[in-house]
Amino acid sequence: MPLTHLNMRGEANMVDVGDKQETRREAIASGRIVMQPETLKLLSDGGLPKGDVLATARIAGIQAAKRTHELIPLCHSLALSKVSVEFEIDLAESCVNVVALCRLNGRTGVEMEALTAVSVACLTLYDMCKAVDKSMCIEAIQLDSKEGGQRGDYQRMSVQAPIVTGDGMAGEVSLGERCPSPCVRIKFLAELRERLGESEALVSLDELASRDIGGLKTALAQRDSRFKLLTEQRTLCAINQVMANDDALVTDDDEVAFFPPVTGG
Amino acid sequence: MDINVAIQAAPFSMAYGYEDALAGRSDIGAVVTFTGLVRDFNETPDVTGLTLEHYPGMTEATLTDIGEQAWQRWSLQAVRIIHRVGYLIPGDPIVRVLVASAHRREAFEACDFIMDFLKTQAPFWKKEHSTQGEYWVKERHSDQQDAARWGRD
Repeated sequence: MPLTHLNMRGEANMVDVGDKQETRREAIASGRIVMQPETLKLLSDGGLPKGDVLATARIAGIQAAKRTHELIPLCHSLALSKVSVEFEIDLAESCVNVVALCRLNGRTGVEMEALTAVSVACLTLYDMCKAVDKSMCIEAIQLDSKEGGQRGDYQRMSVQAPIVTGDGMAGEVSLGERCPSPCVRIKFLAELRERLGESEALVSLDELASRDIGGLKTALAQRDSRFKLLTEQRTLCAINQVMANDDALVTDDDEVAFFPPVTGG
Repeated sequence: MDINVAIQAAPFSMAYGYEDALAGRSDIGAVVTFTGLVRDFNETPDVTGLTLEHYPGMTEATLTDIGEQAWQRWSLQAVRIIHRVGYLIPGDPIVRVLVASAHRREAFEACDFIMDFLKTQAPFWKKEHSTQGEYWVKERHSDQQDAARWGRD
């Protein structure tokens, strides 16, 4: 698909939208600013020297959306029918999540307005908090969805962070799908997962010549030669999240994880 | 046993665990902390960042177990372990271990012990990003030797 902001000679050019139908357009963008936990606490308690941080950043975001055409060279000036900027304080991630929605009935999309609102709201948060924290980081500014327009709707797929290898809590074993017949659920972690191209597998207990980790490795290698990796290189194993060796027995519904030697700290 | 472990993606403060471990106590005579940071050189000279993966659930259980083993070997008053996961850049703190005891020797040794076992047993894996590409970090024989110093139980 050609870039619409370039003309036939490849020069920047404003798109003529005069002939386009007016339709309802909506775009949602988001981003976040990560800060020290102490800064986040000051922000949520209203203890920062410049006053009410979120109210100020909200107004800044709304104003910025209305002035997007002054900042981004080839954007049209739009009569937005709605702009909203919302904040969510995330203590676990120590950040403020920012979500902006822009809407209008018109001939051009409003994603640049939503993205600008998020960007300027984040910049304002930075400005309001910088006296106590200069290490803040603005990140993940992105279009989440847009509706209306020639190219149709867009919805960002939610992307899982690569660190997630299960959703268990401490001392707890995550229950995936239950096996139809007695079986063990297997996870492959870190480099092993990437080399195998596989993150999970189910193996029925009936497939095992011996009902232990050694038997499980043999059954996997018979299923697919890729799994010979499990014996060819140093691989560690845990049954229900406790380290185990090749002689350890497996029983129905166990969670078995194979992984390379650990490299934390 | 006053042992607390935490895994999180967000940065942690350099004061992490200190106030909470010492609150209302006057029997603590020594606090030893260790902080591990991301280096800009490791297996390649130009590391630009790293991604830390872990095995949720097992990670917390393993760190708690290591803290409990230290608690059995030395006379301790508090143990705090925090470890980051996700994307980190050079200079970022990855791990912090705090050990409080009545006497310094016990706190020094227990902190050393916890780090040796954290590095060889806790299910974390580092993938380094460098100007030459990305790769998974290999285990180090010296880490295994360090852990072996304490004798196996």
